[in-house]
Amino acid sequence: MDAAIEQNRRAAVLSEKKNKVLGVCLEDARISKSYLAVAFVALLLGGLLGLLQGLNRAGVLELPAWLNYYQILTAHGLLLVVVLSAFFTIGYFYAGLSHTLGGLLPKVRKLAWIGFWTKMVGLVLVVVPVLMNEASVMYTFYPPMAAHPVFYFGLVFVVLGIWMLATGAFINVAHWRKNHKGQHLPILAFFATGVFVLLVGATAFVAVEVLFMIIPWSLGWVETINVMVARTLFWAFGHTAVNIWYLTAVSAWYVIVPKIIGGTRWNDYLTRVVVIALVIMNITGGFHHQIVDPGISLPIKFMHVFMSLAIGFPSLMTAYAMFRVFERTGRRKGGKGALGWFKKLPWGDVRFLSPFIAMAAFIPAGAGGIVQSTNQLDQVVHNTMWIVGHFHLTLGMSVVMTFFGISYWLVPYLSKRVLTPQMNKLGVIQTIIWTVGMVIMAISMHAAGLFGSPRRTSFTTYGDFAETLGWNPLMTAVGIGATLLLIAVILQVHAVFNMMFFAPKGEVEFPIAEVEKNETAAPYMTERWGIWVVVMMIVIAMAYVLPLTDMIVNAPPGSPPFKTW
Amino acid sequence: MTQFIYGLLLYIFLMIPPIAALFESMMITHMHMQMPMLVISGFLMSGFLLRRSHRFFEKWNHNGIPGITLFMMIMIYWTIPRTMDEALTMQTMEIWKFMSLPFLAGMPLRDSWKKLTKAGKNIIIFIFTVKYFGMGALYIWSEESLCNNYLVIDQLTLGWGFITTAICLVIYLVYAFTVNPSEYE
Repeated sequence: MDAAIEQNRRAAVLSEKKNKVLGVCLEDARISKSYLAVAFVALLLGGLLGLLQGLNRAGVLELPAWLNYYQILTAHGLLLVVVLSAFFTIGYFYAGLSHTLGGLLPKVRKLAWIGFWTKMVGLVLVVVPVLMNEASVMYTFYPPMAAHPVFYFGLVFVVLGIWMLATGAFINVAHWRKNHKGQHLPILAFFATGVFVLLVGATAFVAVEVLFMIIPWSLGWVETINVMVARTLFWAFGHTAVNIWYLTAVSAWYVIVPKIIGGTRWNDYLTRVVVIALVIMNITGGFHHQIVDPGISLPIKFMHVFMSLAIGFPSLMTAYAMFRVFERTGRRKGGKGALGWFKKLPWGDVRFLSPFIAMAAFIPAGAGGIVQSTNQLDQVVHNTMWIVGHFHLTLGMSVVMTFFGISYWLVPYLSKRVLTPQMNKLGVIQTIIWTVGMVIMAISMHAAGLFGSPRRTSFTTYGDFAETLGWNPLMTAVGIGATLLLIAVILQVHAVFNMMFFAPKGEVEFPIAEVEKNETAAPYMTERWGIWVVVMMIVIAMAYVLPLTDMIVNAPPGSPPFKTW
Repeated sequence: MTQFIYGLLLYIFLMIPPIAALFESMMITHMHMQMPMLVISGFLMSGFLLRRSHRFFEKWNHNGIPGITLFMMIMIYWTIPRTMDEALTMQTMEIWKFMSLPFLAGMPLRDSWKKLTKAGKNIIIFIFTVKYFGMGALYIWSEESLCNNYLVIDQLTLGWGFITTAICLVIYLVYAFTVNPSEYE
């Protein structure tokens, strides 16, 4: 038995060394590249639909009768919030697991492929009813709006695929830990573990909603549905999903960016604490999306404000950590004075520039999030374009620009090609165009929202009502922003596929920053994921049992399905 | 000392009348949020106090069993419906709650937990699991209002709070008994 364990350990160590010397394992790279390819095709399609929406809201494009606004709104949301983000996250973390844990196990590779095709089948089943205008329910698919049942079956397959990938990740992590007794999980694999725990936790809620509530209702097996319960289960998933994409971006900020700027990582212990805190407190934050929902008492909403703002604490830790790392690195490179270090950062490197702008965008994005978590302020902005502006800042800048920055080293690494200076320049131009487009669009959306322009509606002048005509210049700016964004999307997708198939052959590194010399090791308790998962479940149980019991026991008769489009 | 200050700040925060009133306005937040947070505040404050009275605890709680027994008694006492009612209607009982939970539950828990063996810790968690299932069943199936100050729906919610917490504890126990830490650590 001991001999077998020792043999396993040696094989694992050898595999890690081989990874470092030979670079990427081609079989593992194929998995990650497939995920990234789907992600960026989704970006292209989603971006194109976004432009159509932007031009429609600007009042310059009337959509044809066979393609209505809500159809493209649904497809845009699904392609970008669900497909792009999920596929990128999985491709990136599977590459990270392969690199830091000495390659994926053969059975994990198999799981990853089965998961990939399960998700693709699910995706087709979701997209077809949307294209047929049978599922224009938007990506939140709130009952009582009911899509074609096939749409919901597709969602089930997507969730099953995610569970397979999470299982694969857990198997690989457990295997590594068995062969590296007493060692801390490499930091990128630690982030991956947190992300997959959250993915399982979040999708469990939406699985209950879809399997036990919506599918029987959409098939006509039951007449009515409890709308409030469905919305609550959805947001336990929806909010967490968004935060999973954010945590993925955060992993690059902590682990990758310091290496790219030639520095060292922020304190290892505190980094792990941030991951654990985000995992434990995340799912319960879903309630702040329901602040204006009826049927939830004010004291409960008040308490949930605390639970939402609690997530702000690790985010503030992150903000401090990042700028501390920048300052430390800049000063070591000779930066003098209060802000001299700022000039020493590699501004011409797209792998840094893009994630840096992403981080900077999180300052107004986070502040907007705090506004929306506050009951009184949310009353003003909840159903307006403000919210659309908010999630274009958080997802469209903080998350996606980090993903773009990652793509400029991850895709060449996986493809055994290099990032040429020309491609880097194109990346910088793409980053600038995306930033200008998104800033114009997000600011205009926030402003239009403050003046009362509603979200989730196609263009209308409300019978040329004077008050609403004042929104039009802002909506024109949204159209201009959307146009710039599509140009940036085309450049980005071109860059990804060029780096995947056509760039010059060569080796690039997987940039993982080291910790500071002489740093005290993190205590081993950070590795006890079993305990953190139980704590997470207790927090969720406490947060949800109160409103859910009330919604179920005092339930109204429920609603039959409606097709509103 | 830092922990003591955090514990003291939490204790003072919980004492602020509107905060206490908010927690006590709902049965489940009264029992499952305010009370555990009082225990946590005592747990945090007691590190400093335990160091100062090291000898006393070494003499009276050298194997952790007296301390954990006191902790259990206080915790069980505060899950009795009548005690919650009295805390809301009698000022002296409210003071007793604010004294007993931090100092007679939080403090002995901190001193005892590290002295208990792994089996001892799991037995305590097992007892809580059984108790939570039992209390959950009582609050869910009791057709009468058990507390004068709360509605039946509050009672039902608390019952489900007990059951869901007990399920989480079962998951922990399954984890503790099926995963062998020596394979990983």
